[in-house]
Amino acid sequence: MQVDILHIAKLARLSIEEEKMEKFQKEMENIVAMCEKMPLMEGDYTAVDPSHPMELRKDEVRPSLKREDVLKNAPQTQAGCVVVPKIVE
Amino acid sequence: MELFEMTAASLSEKLRKKECSAVEITRSTLGQISNTEKQIGSFVTVCEERAMQKAEEVDRKIAAGETISPLAGIPIGVKDNICTKDVLTTCSSKMLYNFVPPYNATVVDRLEQADAVIIGKCNMDEYAMGSSCETSYFKKTKNPWNSEYVPGGSSGGSASSVSAGEAVLALGSDTGGSIRLPASYCGVVGLKPTYGSVSRYGLVAFASSLDQIGPLGRSVQDVATLYSTICGRDPMDATSAVREYGDFAGKMNRSVKGLRIGVPKEYFGDGVDPEIKTAVMSGIDLLVKEGAQTVPVSLPSTDYALSAYYIISSAEASSNLARFDGVKYGYRTEKYTNLLDLYEKTRSEGFGDEVKRRIMLGTFVLSSGFYDAYYKRAKQMQQKISAEYALAYSQCDVILTPTSPSTAFKIGERTDDPLKMYAADICTVTVNIAGLPAISVPCGIASNGLPIGLQMIGPKFSEQLLFDVAGCFENLCGGFGVAPAMKG
Repeated sequence: MQVDILHIAKLARLSIEEEKMEKFQKEMENIVAMCEKMPLMEGDYTAVDPSHPMELRKDEVRPSLKREDVLKNAPQTQAGCVVVPKIVE
Repeated sequence: MELFEMTAASLSEKLRKKECSAVEITRSTLGQISNTEKQIGSFVTVCEERAMQKAEEVDRKIAAGETISPLAGIPIGVKDNICTKDVLTTCSSKMLYNFVPPYNATVVDRLEQADAVIIGKCNMDEYAMGSSCETSYFKKTKNPWNSEYVPGGSSGGSASSVSAGEAVLALGSDTGGSIRLPASYCGVVGLKPTYGSVSRYGLVAFASSLDQIGPLGRSVQDVATLYSTICGRDPMDATSAVREYGDFAGKMNRSVKGLRIGVPKEYFGDGVDPEIKTAVMSGIDLLVKEGAQTVPVSLPSTDYALSAYYIISSAEASSNLARFDGVKYGYRTEKYTNLLDLYEKTRSEGFGDEVKRRIMLGTFVLSSGFYDAYYKRAKQMQQKISAEYALAYSQCDVILTPTSPSTAFKIGERTDDPLKMYAADICTVTVNIAGLPAISVPCGIASNGLPIGLQMIGPKFSEQLLFDVAGCFENLCGGFGVAPAMKG
Protein backbone atom coordinates (compact mmCIF):
# COMPACT_ATOMS: atom_id res chain seq x y z
CA MET A 1 0.00 0.00 0.00
CA GLN A 2 1.39 3.35 -1.06
CA VAL A 3 0.72 5.98 1.59
CA ASP A 4 0.35 9.58 0.42
CA ILE A 5 2.32 11.13 3.28
CA LEU A 6 1.89 14.71 2.07
CA HIS A 7 -1.89 14.36 1.96
CA ILE A 8 -2.09 12.62 5.36
CA ALA A 9 0.23 15.19 6.96
CA LYS A 10 -1.93 17.98 5.60
CA LEU A 11 -5.08 16.41 7.06
CA ALA A 12 -3.29 16.09 10.41
CA ARG A 13 -2.02 19.71 10.28
CA LEU A 14 1.60 18.58 10.28
CA SER A 15 4.44 19.38 7.96
CA ILE A 16 7.26 16.92 7.41
CA GLU A 17 10.79 18.16 6.76
CA GLU A 18 12.11 17.36 3.28
CA GLU A 19 15.00 15.23 4.61
CA LYS A 20 12.71 13.12 6.80
CA MET A 21 10.11 12.49 4.13
CA GLU A 22 11.58 9.26 2.78
CA LYS A 23 12.10 7.81 6.26
CA PHE A 24 8.54 8.61 7.34
CA GLN A 25 7.18 7.21 4.08
CA LYS A 26 9.01 3.90 4.53
CA GLU A 27 8.17 3.56 8.22
CA MET A 28 4.50 4.31 7.65
CA GLU A 29 4.33 1.79 4.83
CA ASN A 30 5.94 -0.88 7.03
CA ILE A 31 3.41 -0.22 9.79
CA VAL A 32 0.52 -0.29 7.32
CA ALA A 33 1.89 -3.56 5.88
CA MET A 34 1.87 -5.07 9.38
CA CYS A 35 -1.73 -3.93 9.85
CA GLU A 36 -2.80 -5.45 6.54
CA LYS A 37 -1.97 -8.94 7.82
CA MET A 38 -5.20 -8.89 9.82
CA PRO A 39 -7.80 -11.20 8.26
CA LEU A 40 -11.00 -9.81 6.80
CA MET A 41 -13.94 -10.42 9.09
CA GLU A 42 -17.71 -10.48 8.82
CA GLY A 43 -20.17 -8.70 11.06
CA ASP A 44 -20.18 -5.41 12.89
CA TYR A 45 -18.76 -4.33 16.25
CA THR A 46 -20.26 -2.72 19.31
CA ALA A 47 -18.59 0.51 20.35
CA VAL A 48 -19.61 0.29 24.02
CA ASP A 49 -19.15 -2.61 26.44
CA PRO A 50 -22.75 -3.78 27.00
CA SER A 51 -21.99 -5.15 30.49
CA HIS A 52 -20.63 -1.78 31.66
CA PRO A 53 -22.60 0.95 29.92
CA MET A 54 -21.56 4.54 30.43
CA GLU A 55 -23.51 6.71 32.81
CA LEU A 56 -23.59 10.29 31.59
CA ARG A 57 -23.81 13.10 34.11
CA LYS A 58 -26.79 15.42 34.12
CA ASP A 59 -26.53 18.49 31.93
CA GLU A 60 -26.77 21.10 34.66
CA VAL A 61 -25.15 24.41 35.53
CA ARG A 62 -22.51 24.13 38.24
CA PRO A 63 -19.30 25.88 39.27
CA SER A 64 -16.31 25.50 36.94
CA LEU A 65 -12.74 26.79 36.77
CA LYS A 66 -12.22 30.54 36.89
CA ARG A 67 -11.58 32.22 33.54
CA GLU A 68 -8.24 33.69 34.64
CA ASP A 69 -7.03 30.28 35.84
CA VAL A 70 -7.91 28.66 32.52
CA LEU A 71 -6.30 31.45 30.49
CA LYS A 72 -3.04 31.31 32.46
CA ASN A 73 -1.75 28.62 30.12
CA ALA A 74 -2.74 30.32 26.86
CA PRO A 75 0.21 31.63 24.81
CA GLN A 76 -1.53 34.93 24.04
CA THR A 77 -4.61 36.49 25.65
CA GLN A 78 -6.41 39.80 25.54
CA ALA A 79 -9.48 41.02 27.45
CA GLY A 80 -10.19 37.54 28.82
CA CYS A 81 -9.99 35.80 25.44
CA VAL A 82 -7.35 33.77 23.59
CA VAL A 83 -5.79 35.59 20.65
CA VAL A 84 -5.51 33.93 17.21
CA PRO A 85 -4.65 35.33 13.77
CA LYS A 86 -7.48 36.96 11.86
CA ILE A 87 -9.73 34.30 10.27
CA VAL A 88 -12.30 36.41 8.39
CA GLU A 89 -11.58 39.16 5.93
CA MET B 1 17.91 -0.88 55.61
CA GLU B 2 17.37 2.80 54.81
CA LEU B 3 13.85 4.29 54.95
CA PHE B 4 13.73 4.88 51.18
CA GLU B 5 14.16 1.15 50.54
CA MET B 6 11.22 0.03 52.66
CA THR B 7 7.69 -0.80 51.56
CA ALA B 8 4.75 1.52 52.16
CA ALA B 9 3.27 -1.08 54.53
CA SER B 10 6.32 -1.17 56.80
CA LEU B 11 6.80 2.61 56.67
CA SER B 12 3.17 3.17 57.61
CA GLU B 13 3.56 0.82 60.57
CA LYS B 14 6.68 2.72 61.67
CA LEU B 15 4.76 6.00 61.47
CA ARG B 16 1.93 4.61 63.60
CA LYS B 17 4.38 3.27 66.16
CA LYS B 18 6.23 6.62 66.05
CA GLU B 19 9.50 4.86 65.18
CA CYS B 20 10.11 7.45 62.49
CA SER B 21 8.47 10.62 61.20
CA ALA B 22 6.99 11.42 57.78
CA VAL B 23 9.61 14.15 57.40
CA GLU B 24 12.37 11.56 57.90
CA ILE B 25 10.84 9.29 55.25
CA THR B 26 10.53 12.12 52.71
CA ARG B 27 14.04 13.37 53.53
CA SER B 28 15.46 9.86 53.03
CA THR B 29 13.72 9.56 49.64
CA LEU B 30 14.84 13.06 48.55
CA GLY B 31 18.35 12.10 49.64
CA GLN B 32 18.25 9.04 47.41
CA ILE B 33 16.98 11.22 44.55
CA SER B 34 19.92 13.59 44.91
CA ASN B 35 22.31 10.60 44.97
CA THR B 36 20.91 8.71 41.99
CA GLU B 37 18.90 11.09 39.82
CA LYS B 38 21.89 12.22 37.76
CA GLN B 39 22.50 8.62 36.77
CA ILE B 40 18.87 7.44 36.38
CA GLY B 41 16.81 10.51 35.41
CA SER B 42 13.39 9.32 36.60
CA PHE B 43 11.82 12.75 37.03
CA VAL B 44 10.87 15.72 34.89
CA THR B 45 10.10 17.67 38.08
CA VAL B 46 11.05 16.92 41.70
CA CYS B 47 8.55 18.49 44.12
CA GLU B 48 10.93 18.94 47.04
CA GLU B 49 9.22 21.82 48.82
CA ARG B 50 5.66 20.56 48.43
CA ALA B 51 6.71 17.09 49.54
CA MET B 52 8.32 18.42 52.72
CA GLN B 53 5.24 20.54 53.50
CA LYS B 54 2.96 17.53 53.10
CA ALA B 55 5.24 15.39 55.27
CA GLU B 56 5.16 18.04 58.00
CA GLU B 57 1.36 18.09 57.79
CA VAL B 58 1.26 14.31 58.27
CA ASP B 59 3.55 14.56 61.29
CA ARG B 60 1.23 17.18 62.81
CA LYS B 61 -1.73 14.82 62.31
CA ILE B 62 0.14 11.97 63.96
CA ALA B 63 1.20 14.21 66.86
CA ALA B 64 -2.43 15.29 67.31
CA GLY B 65 -3.43 11.63 67.60
CA GLU B 66 -5.40 11.54 64.35
CA THR B 67 -5.92 8.24 62.51
CA ILE B 68 -3.81 8.22 59.35
CA SER B 69 -4.44 6.47 56.02
CA PRO B 70 -2.09 3.67 54.88
CA LEU B 71 -0.55 6.05 52.31
CA ALA B 72 -0.09 9.01 54.68
CA GLY B 73 3.51 10.23 54.53
CA ILE B 74 4.46 7.78 51.74
CA PRO B 75 6.52 9.32 48.88
CA ILE B 76 4.81 8.66 45.54
CA GLY B 77 5.92 9.49 41.99
CA VAL B 78 3.26 10.57 39.49
CA LYS B 79 3.66 10.08 35.74
CA ASP B 80 3.93 13.42 33.95
CA ASN B 81 0.75 12.91 31.92
CA ILE B 82 -1.40 13.06 35.08
CA CYS B 83 -2.50 16.60 35.95
CA THR B 84 -1.24 18.07 39.21
CA LYS B 85 -2.63 21.49 40.16
CA ASP B 86 0.09 24.18 40.13
CA VAL B 87 2.79 21.61 39.24
CA LEU B 88 4.23 21.37 35.71
CA THR B 89 2.64 18.51 33.69
CA THR B 90 4.49 18.08 30.40
CA CYS B 91 3.69 14.63 28.99
CA SER B 92 7.47 14.74 28.34
CA SER B 93 6.70 16.82 25.25
CA LYS B 94 7.95 20.15 23.97
CA MET B 95 4.27 20.79 23.19
CA LEU B 96 3.47 21.02 26.92
CA TYR B 97 6.87 22.17 28.18
CA ASN B 98 5.23 25.01 30.17
CA PHE B 99 1.80 23.57 31.01
CA VAL B 100 0.74 24.09 34.64
CA PRO B 101 -2.71 22.51 35.15
CA PRO B 102 -5.32 24.60 36.97
CA TYR B 103 -6.81 21.38 38.44
CA ASN B 104 -5.90 17.96 39.79
CA ALA B 105 -6.62 14.64 38.13
CA THR B 106 -9.11 12.65 40.24
CA VAL B 107 -6.37 10.17 41.19
CA VAL B 108 -4.20 13.05 42.46
CA ASP B 109 -7.11 14.39 44.53
CA ARG B 110 -7.45 10.92 46.04
CA LEU B 111 -3.72 10.75 46.82
CA GLU B 112 -3.93 14.14 48.53
CA GLN B 113 -7.00 13.11 50.53
CA ALA B 114 -5.00 10.05 51.66
CA ASP B 115 -2.12 12.39 52.70
CA ALA B 116 0.34 10.73 50.31
CA VAL B 117 3.49 12.75 49.59
CA ILE B 118 3.83 13.50 45.86
CA ILE B 119 7.59 13.46 45.44
CA GLY B 120 7.85 14.28 41.73
CA LYS B 121 6.57 13.98 38.20
CA CYS B 122 7.98 10.98 36.36
CA ASN B 123 9.57 11.00 32.92
CA MET B 124 7.85 9.05 30.15
CA ASP B 125 7.78 8.50 26.42
CA GLU B 126 6.31 11.61 24.79
CA TYR B 127 2.49 11.45 25.16
CA ALA B 128 2.95 7.86 26.44
CA MET B 129 3.84 6.69 22.93
CA GLY B 130 6.78 4.35 23.24
CA SER B 131 8.20 1.30 24.97
CA SER B 132 11.56 2.60 26.15
CA CYS B 133 11.22 6.11 27.61
CA GLU B 134 13.55 7.29 24.82
CA THR B 135 11.02 9.55 23.06
CA SER B 136 10.86 12.01 25.99
CA TYR B 137 11.67 15.56 24.89
CA PHE B 138 13.61 16.20 28.12
CA LYS B 139 15.83 13.23 28.88
CA LYS B 140 16.37 9.51 28.52
CA THR B 141 15.66 7.61 31.73
CA LYS B 142 18.07 4.75 32.52
CA ASN B 143 17.38 1.30 33.95
CA PRO B 144 18.44 1.20 37.65
CA TRP B 145 19.73 -2.38 37.18
CA ASN B 146 22.16 -1.27 34.47
CA SER B 147 22.23 2.27 33.15
CA GLU B 148 23.19 1.19 29.62
CA TYR B 149 19.69 -0.23 29.26
CA VAL B 150 16.24 1.34 28.87
CA PRO B 151 13.77 1.20 31.77
CA GLY B 152 10.93 0.29 29.38
CA GLY B 153 8.02 2.54 28.60
CA SER B 154 6.07 4.45 28.44
CA SER B 155 5.89 4.81 32.27
CA GLY B 156 9.69 4.41 32.41
CA GLY B 157 10.29 7.08 35.06
CA SER B 158 7.54 5.68 37.28
CA ALA B 159 9.13 2.20 37.19
CA SER B 160 12.73 3.43 37.51
CA SER B 161 11.90 5.72 40.46
CA VAL B 162 10.37 2.81 42.38
CA SER B 163 13.20 0.46 41.42
CA ALA B 164 15.88 3.02 42.38
CA GLY B 165 14.29 3.88 45.73
CA GLU B 166 13.50 7.41 44.50
CA ALA B 167 9.83 6.77 45.33
CA VAL B 168 8.09 4.13 47.42
CA LEU B 169 5.19 3.88 44.98
CA ALA B 170 4.31 5.46 41.64
CA LEU B 171 1.39 6.03 39.32
CA GLY B 172 1.74 5.18 35.66
CA SER B 173 -0.67 4.83 32.76
CA ASP B 174 -1.09 1.79 30.54
CA THR B 175 -2.54 1.93 27.00
CA GLY B 176 -0.76 -1.11 25.52
CA GLY B 177 1.60 -2.24 28.27
CA SER B 178 3.02 1.05 29.53
CA ILE B 179 2.86 0.06 33.22
CA ARG B 180 3.61 -3.67 32.97
CA LEU B 181 6.51 -3.47 30.49
CA PRO B 182 8.64 -0.99 32.51
CA ALA B 183 7.64 -2.80 35.72
CA SER B 184 9.08 -6.01 34.26
CA TYR B 185 12.22 -4.32 32.87
CA CYS B 186 12.93 -2.63 36.22
CA GLY B 187 12.04 -5.58 38.48
CA VAL B 188 9.03 -4.05 40.24
CA VAL B 189 5.31 -4.87 40.54
CA GLY B 190 2.90 -3.04 38.19
CA LEU B 191 -0.86 -3.30 37.78
CA LYS B 192 -2.89 -2.35 34.73
CA PRO B 193 -6.40 -2.17 36.23
CA THR B 194 -9.67 -3.17 34.56
CA TYR B 195 -10.78 -0.50 32.09
CA GLY B 196 -13.22 1.78 33.89
CA SER B 197 -12.09 0.99 37.44
CA VAL B 198 -9.83 4.05 37.80
CA SER B 199 -10.95 7.52 36.74
CA ARG B 200 -9.14 8.99 33.74
CA TYR B 201 -10.22 12.56 34.57
CA GLY B 202 -7.06 14.64 34.38
CA LEU B 203 -5.03 12.05 32.48
CA VAL B 204 -3.83 13.58 29.21
CA ALA B 205 -5.68 11.34 26.74
CA PHE B 206 -3.75 9.12 24.31
CA ALA B 207 -6.29 6.41 23.36
CA SER B 208 -9.33 6.98 25.55
CA SER B 209 -10.87 3.51 25.09
CA LEU B 210 -7.62 1.78 26.15
CA ASP B 211 -5.90 4.16 28.63
CA GLN B 212 -5.93 3.25 32.31
CA ILE B 213 -4.03 4.71 35.27
CA GLY B 214 -2.45 2.17 37.61
CA PRO B 215 0.03 1.64 40.47
CA LEU B 216 3.67 0.47 40.57
CA GLY B 217 5.46 -0.61 43.74
CA ARG B 218 8.01 -2.93 45.31
CA SER B 219 5.45 -5.23 46.92
CA VAL B 220 2.08 -6.64 45.92
CA GLN B 221 0.49 -5.32 49.11
CA ASP B 222 1.72 -1.77 48.39
CA VAL B 223 0.31 -1.95 44.86
CA ALA B 224 -3.01 -3.22 46.25
CA THR B 225 -3.09 -0.36 48.78
CA LEU B 226 -2.48 2.28 46.12
CA TYR B 227 -5.06 0.66 43.84
CA SER B 228 -7.65 0.70 46.67
CA THR B 229 -7.01 4.43 47.05
CA ILE B 230 -7.36 5.42 43.40
CA CYS B 231 -10.11 3.10 42.10
CA GLY B 232 -13.83 3.87 42.13
CA ARG B 233 -16.62 5.61 40.31
CA ASP B 234 -15.99 9.20 39.27
CA PRO B 235 -18.80 11.29 37.77
CA MET B 236 -16.11 13.33 35.95
CA ASP B 237 -15.25 10.29 33.80
CA ALA B 238 -18.26 8.92 31.93
CA THR B 239 -16.41 5.65 31.27
CA SER B 240 -15.75 4.95 34.95
CA ALA B 241 -17.68 1.85 36.00
CA VAL B 242 -20.63 2.10 38.39
CA ARG B 243 -19.71 -0.38 41.13
CA GLU B 244 -18.41 -0.66 44.69
CA TYR B 245 -14.83 -1.63 45.58
CA GLY B 246 -13.47 -2.87 48.87
CA ASP B 247 -10.07 -2.66 50.54
CA PHE B 248 -7.99 -4.96 48.35
CA ALA B 249 -4.85 -4.96 50.49
CA GLY B 250 -6.80 -5.86 53.65
CA LYS B 251 -8.52 -8.80 51.96
CA MET B 252 -5.45 -10.47 50.41
CA ASN B 253 -5.24 -14.18 51.26
CA ARG B 254 -2.23 -15.20 49.12
CA SER B 255 -3.58 -18.70 48.50
CA VAL B 256 -3.65 -20.55 45.17
CA LYS B 257 -5.16 -23.88 46.32
CA GLY B 258 -7.42 -25.20 43.56
CA LEU B 259 -6.56 -22.25 41.26
CA ARG B 260 -6.75 -23.08 37.55
CA ILE B 261 -3.89 -21.37 35.70
CA GLY B 262 -4.43 -20.97 31.97
CA VAL B 263 -1.22 -21.24 29.92
CA PRO B 264 -1.75 -19.94 26.35
CA LYS B 265 0.70 -21.55 23.91
CA GLU B 266 0.68 -18.44 21.71
CA TYR B 267 2.63 -16.58 24.43
CA PHE B 268 5.44 -19.11 24.54
CA GLY B 269 6.28 -19.18 20.81
CA ASP B 270 9.49 -18.65 18.85
CA GLY B 271 9.51 -14.90 19.35
CA VAL B 272 9.96 -15.29 23.10
CA ASP B 273 13.49 -15.53 24.51
CA PRO B 274 14.04 -19.14 25.75
CA GLU B 275 15.44 -17.82 29.03
CA ILE B 276 12.19 -15.94 29.63
CA LYS B 277 10.06 -18.99 28.83
CA THR B 278 12.05 -21.03 31.36
CA ALA B 279 11.76 -18.38 34.08
CA VAL B 280 8.00 -17.97 33.56
CA MET B 281 7.42 -21.76 33.48
CA SER B 282 9.43 -22.19 36.73
CA GLY B 283 7.27 -19.46 38.26
CA ILE B 284 4.15 -21.37 37.24
CA ASP B 285 5.67 -24.59 38.70
CA LEU B 286 6.13 -22.83 42.05
CA LEU B 287 2.40 -22.04 42.12
CA VAL B 288 1.51 -25.60 41.08
CA LYS B 289 3.52 -26.93 44.06
CA GLU B 290 1.32 -24.68 46.23
CA GLY B 291 -1.84 -26.39 45.00
CA ALA B 292 -2.66 -24.66 41.69
CA GLN B 293 -3.13 -26.63 38.46
CA THR B 294 -2.36 -25.65 34.87
CA VAL B 295 -4.81 -25.77 31.98
CA PRO B 296 -3.73 -25.34 28.35
CA VAL B 297 -5.76 -22.51 26.75
CA SER B 298 -5.62 -20.84 23.37
CA LEU B 299 -5.78 -17.19 22.31
CA PRO B 300 -5.35 -17.74 18.56
CA SER B 301 -5.74 -14.09 17.45
CA THR B 302 -2.75 -12.90 19.49
CA ASP B 303 -0.72 -12.58 16.25
CA TYR B 304 -3.05 -9.83 15.05
CA ALA B 305 -3.24 -7.98 18.36
CA LEU B 306 -0.40 -5.54 17.62
CA SER B 307 -2.03 -4.54 14.32
CA ALA B 308 -5.42 -3.99 15.93
CA TYR B 309 -3.76 -2.12 18.79
CA TYR B 310 -1.80 0.29 16.59
CA ILE B 311 -4.83 1.03 14.43
CA ILE B 312 -7.24 1.67 17.31
CA SER B 313 -4.79 3.55 19.54
CA SER B 314 -3.42 5.71 16.72
CA ALA B 315 -6.92 6.51 15.43
CA GLU B 316 -7.92 7.73 18.88
CA ALA B 317 -4.61 9.55 19.33
CA SER B 318 -4.99 11.45 16.05
CA SER B 319 -8.31 12.74 17.31
CA ASN B 320 -7.24 13.35 20.95
CA LEU B 321 -4.07 15.20 19.97
CA ALA B 322 -5.90 17.57 17.62
CA ARG B 323 -6.38 19.88 20.63
CA PHE B 324 -2.67 20.76 20.73
CA ASP B 325 -2.69 23.65 18.30
CA GLY B 326 -0.89 26.53 20.03
CA VAL B 327 -4.08 28.36 20.99
CA LYS B 328 -5.24 27.37 24.49
CA TYR B 329 -2.10 26.04 26.19
CA GLY B 330 1.44 24.85 25.69
CA TYR B 331 3.90 25.62 22.92
CA ARG B 332 3.15 28.14 20.16
CA THR B 333 5.39 28.71 17.14
CA GLU B 334 7.03 32.12 16.90
CA LYS B 335 6.36 33.11 13.29
CA TYR B 336 3.14 32.45 11.37
CA THR B 337 1.13 34.07 8.62
CA ASN B 338 -2.39 32.79 9.28
CA LEU B 339 -4.35 30.38 11.50
CA LEU B 340 -3.58 27.22 9.49
CA ASP B 341 0.08 28.17 9.41
CA LEU B 342 -0.03 28.65 13.20
CA TYR B 343 -1.50 25.16 13.67
CA GLU B 344 0.87 23.45 11.29
CA LYS B 345 4.07 25.07 12.54
CA THR B 346 3.14 24.70 16.21
CA ARG B 347 2.34 21.00 15.80
CA SER B 348 5.35 20.26 13.59
CA GLU B 349 7.76 21.95 16.03
CA GLY B 350 6.01 20.79 19.21
CA PHE B 351 5.57 17.05 18.55
CA GLY B 352 8.41 14.53 18.25
CA ASP B 353 8.71 12.03 15.38
CA GLU B 354 7.00 9.07 17.09
CA VAL B 355 3.99 11.20 18.01
CA LYS B 356 3.79 12.51 14.43
CA ARG B 357 4.03 8.96 13.08
CA ARG B 358 1.10 7.82 15.21
CA ILE B 359 -1.04 10.88 14.46
CA MET B 360 -0.46 10.24 10.76
CA LEU B 361 -1.20 6.51 11.05
CA GLY B 362 -4.41 7.37 12.89
CA THR B 363 -5.35 9.99 10.33
CA PHE B 364 -4.67 7.50 7.55
CA VAL B 365 -6.79 4.65 8.97
CA LEU B 366 -9.71 7.00 9.57
CA SER B 367 -9.43 8.79 6.24
CA SER B 368 -12.05 8.49 3.54
CA GLY B 369 -11.74 5.20 1.64
CA PHE B 370 -9.59 3.42 4.23
CA TYR B 371 -11.88 3.32 7.27
CA ASP B 372 -13.46 -0.09 6.51
CA ALA B 373 -10.17 -1.73 5.56
CA TYR B 374 -8.36 -0.68 8.73
CA TYR B 375 -10.34 0.82 11.61
CA LYS B 376 -13.44 -1.34 11.21
CA ARG B 377 -11.32 -4.46 10.80
CA ALA B 378 -9.37 -3.61 13.95
CA LYS B 379 -12.56 -3.09 15.95
CA GLN B 380 -13.86 -6.45 14.71
CA MET B 381 -10.55 -8.01 15.76
CA GLN B 382 -10.93 -6.39 19.18
CA GLN B 383 -14.28 -8.15 19.58
CA LYS B 384 -12.73 -11.46 18.49
CA ILE B 385 -9.87 -11.15 20.97
CA SER B 386 -12.33 -10.37 23.80
CA ALA B 387 -14.39 -13.46 22.85
CA GLU B 388 -11.26 -15.64 22.89
CA TYR B 389 -10.44 -14.43 26.42
CA ALA B 390 -14.04 -15.12 27.52
CA LEU B 391 -13.77 -18.67 26.21
CA ALA B 392 -10.43 -19.17 27.96
CA TYR B 393 -11.91 -17.98 31.29
CA SER B 394 -14.58 -20.69 31.02
CA GLN B 395 -11.70 -23.15 31.49
CA CYS B 396 -9.37 -21.30 33.89
CA ASP B 397 -9.34 -18.59 36.59
CA VAL B 398 -6.23 -16.66 35.62
CA ILE B 399 -3.86 -16.64 32.62
CA LEU B 400 -0.08 -16.50 33.09
CA THR B 401 2.34 -15.31 30.38
CA PRO B 402 5.66 -13.53 30.06
CA THR B 403 5.23 -9.71 30.36
CA SER B 404 7.60 -9.15 27.44
CA PRO B 405 9.37 -11.49 24.99
CA SER B 406 12.78 -10.17 26.11
CA THR B 407 14.43 -8.34 28.99
CA ALA B 408 15.28 -4.62 28.72
CA PHE B 409 17.23 -3.67 25.59
CA LYS B 410 20.14 -1.25 25.25
CA ILE B 411 19.53 2.47 24.89
CA GLY B 412 19.42 3.33 21.19
CA GLU B 413 19.12 -0.32 20.08
CA ARG B 414 15.56 -0.07 18.70
CA THR B 415 15.06 3.64 18.01
CA ASP B 416 15.61 3.27 14.26
CA ASP B 417 12.96 0.62 13.72
CA PRO B 418 9.43 1.35 14.98
CA LEU B 419 8.24 -2.22 14.33
CA LYS B 420 11.04 -3.66 16.47
CA MET B 421 10.11 -1.21 19.23
CA TYR B 422 6.43 -2.13 18.95
CA ALA B 423 7.28 -5.85 19.31
CA ALA B 424 8.12 -5.30 23.00
CA ASP B 425 4.36 -4.90 23.58
CA ILE B 426 3.28 -8.17 21.95
CA CYS B 427 2.41 -9.86 25.29
CA THR B 428 0.65 -6.87 26.84
CA VAL B 429 -1.57 -5.24 24.19
CA THR B 430 -4.34 -7.88 24.13
CA VAL B 431 -5.11 -7.05 27.76
CA ASN B 432 -5.91 -3.41 26.87
CA ILE B 433 -7.80 -4.46 23.78
CA ALA B 434 -10.06 -6.67 25.94
CA GLY B 435 -10.22 -4.16 28.84
CA LEU B 436 -8.89 -6.74 31.34
CA PRO B 437 -6.75 -6.28 34.47
CA ALA B 438 -3.18 -7.68 34.55
CA ILE B 439 -0.29 -7.49 36.97
CA SER B 440 3.42 -7.94 36.23
CA VAL B 441 5.65 -9.37 38.98
CA PRO B 442 9.40 -10.07 38.85
CA CYS B 443 10.12 -13.79 38.33
CA GLY B 444 13.88 -14.07 38.01
CA ILE B 445 17.06 -12.58 36.61
CA ALA B 446 18.33 -13.31 33.10
CA SER B 447 21.96 -14.10 32.25
CA ASN B 448 22.47 -10.41 31.31
CA GLY B 449 21.69 -9.53 34.93
CA LEU B 450 18.33 -7.91 34.13
CA PRO B 451 14.94 -8.79 35.65
CA ILE B 452 12.25 -10.88 33.95
CA GLY B 453 8.51 -10.22 34.35
CA LEU B 454 5.63 -12.66 34.82
CA GLN B 455 2.23 -11.36 33.72
CA MET B 456 -0.99 -12.52 35.40
CA ILE B 457 -4.17 -11.69 33.48
CA GLY B 458 -7.65 -12.00 35.01
CA PRO B 459 -11.26 -11.48 33.92
CA LYS B 460 -12.73 -7.96 34.30
CA PHE B 461 -12.76 -6.67 37.89
CA SER B 462 -10.75 -9.64 39.22
CA GLU B 463 -8.04 -7.47 40.81
CA GLN B 464 -8.50 -9.19 44.19
CA LEU B 465 -7.71 -12.56 42.61
CA LEU B 466 -4.63 -11.08 40.89
CA PHE B 467 -3.37 -9.67 44.21
CA ASP B 468 -3.92 -13.07 45.89
CA VAL B 469 -2.01 -14.99 43.21
CA ALA B 470 0.73 -12.35 42.87
CA GLY B 471 0.98 -12.15 46.67
CA CYS B 472 1.37 -15.93 46.95
CA PHE B 473 4.07 -15.83 44.26
CA GLU B 474 5.83 -12.98 46.05
CA ASN B 475 5.96 -15.03 49.28
CA LEU B 476 7.31 -18.05 47.39
CA CYS B 477 10.19 -16.08 45.88
CA GLY B 478 10.99 -14.19 49.06
CA GLY B 479 9.83 -10.69 48.07
CA PHE B 480 11.15 -7.95 45.82
CA GLY B 481 13.12 -4.76 46.50
CA VAL B 482 15.13 -1.88 45.06
CA ALA B 483 17.63 -2.70 42.29
CA PRO B 484 20.88 -4.13 43.74
CA ALA B 485 23.02 -1.19 42.57
CA MET B 486 20.64 1.31 44.25
CA LYS B 487 20.66 -0.12 47.78
CA GLY B 488 21.56 2.21 50.63
